[in-house]
Amino acid sequence: MMDYLTPCLYAFGASLAFAIVFNIPRNKLLLSALGGMLGQLVYVIFQLVITNDVLPYLLATIAISLYAEVLARLTKSPTTIFLAVALIPLVPGGGIYYTMLYFINGEIDLGISTGVHTMLISGALAVGIIMVSSTVNLVRKVMLKGRSKIGKKLKYGKKT
Amino acid sequence: MTITQLSYVAMEMGVILLANGAETYRVEESMHRICLALGAKEAEIFVVPTTIIISVTLEGEVPLTRTRRIHSRKIDLTKVSELNHLSRQISYEPTNYKKLVAEIKRIDTIPSYPYYLHVLAFAFISQMFTLFFGGSFMDSCVGFVIGLGIKLQMDTMRRFQANIFFTHIVGGLIASTVALAALGLGFTSNMDTIIIGSIMTLVPGLAITNSIRDIIAGDYLSGLAKGVEALLIGAAIASGVAVPLSLLRPFWGG
Repeated sequence: MMDYLTPCLYAFGASLAFAIVFNIPRNKLLLSALGGMLGQLVYVIFQLVITNDVLPYLLATIAISLYAEVLARLTKSPTTIFLAVALIPLVPGGGIYYTMLYFINGEIDLGISTGVHTMLISGALAVGIIMVSSTVNLVRKVMLKGRSKIGKKLKYGKKT
Repeated sequence: MTITQLSYVAMEMGVILLANGAETYRVEESMHRICLALGAKEAEIFVVPTTIIISVTLEGEVPLTRTRRIHSRKIDLTKVSELNHLSRQISYEPTNYKKLVAEIKRIDTIPSYPYYLHVLAFAFISQMFTLFFGGSFMDSCVGFVIGLGIKLQMDTMRRFQANIFFTHIVGGLIASTVALAALGLGFTSNMDTIIIGSIMTLVPGLAITNSIRDIIAGDYLSGLAKGVEALLIGAAIASGVAVPLSLLRPFWGG
């Protein structure tokens, strides 16, 4: 049990430090670091259930994107603040390293398969973010459209 | 508000946003919003990661176009957050030119976290990720030292305006050299974990996030530019790590 939970705590610590590196406002430091922990927690839980090892990354990314979008609306700040920090513990640093290591050791086959696996994980991260933020955008547009029948000026920027 | 003042305010805002790590679409949206809120009839804005072009039209005046090139970029999301808030606020409550310029100036001079905290944060990231990937406490201490080294090296090189890829190559080089040395001196037995943990400090997290979000928003130009930047940084880190590993392996016997 502890083996699964300690990485989450480490992810929390690392995300907190990253939040400082990105100069995130003082009152949102903890919230954004919690995102990093959440991502890892979701990853660990689904890793136990699902045998495929790319899918948990996708689900974890969906979880942190949702977390980021919701918190961004609640605290009235850009989504990036929460998303960029929470995403970093999921970045496949180990995959990049082992790909490189296999190549310099001359094990080309292993290098290629690890490289493709790393690419798949990066793809899963991208797809997760795209799915959530496109859905949220669509929902927001639909809601704005409903409201704009009352006052068209609410639709900032775009001319109707 | 005259057309010169209007375009000046919008441009200042856009420059601060772009130079501190906002997504391209956010810069465009904020500038557009502020121009319309301040009474422009039309505002056309084009932003790529290095340039902002804005063209404003006021009722009954000749259109005015300004261009600004951004040379140095850093990451300060506090400023992005504050400016984003300001641009929304202006749409609801009118304000005058002097107040607006003062407010933008205040946001531009918000201090970031003190330097020693940044250095410690870097070292801490490296330590935490070494533990995260399964290192022991001793390994994480080596990671801590590497984190300190990488931060100091990156800042020194940035001061001399070395290009970003070279900076990351040297960062990776430091990580694997120190880890190899620690292995050779017998401080640790799993060098791989230390190297993976410490190169996580170099991962371009914001570039990855921004590139994906820009592509979704339809800014393919900026999205691809940032995506390529992130990929090249990844390649630079890997090649920096590879150099000492492949050169010194025969001697250390790792």
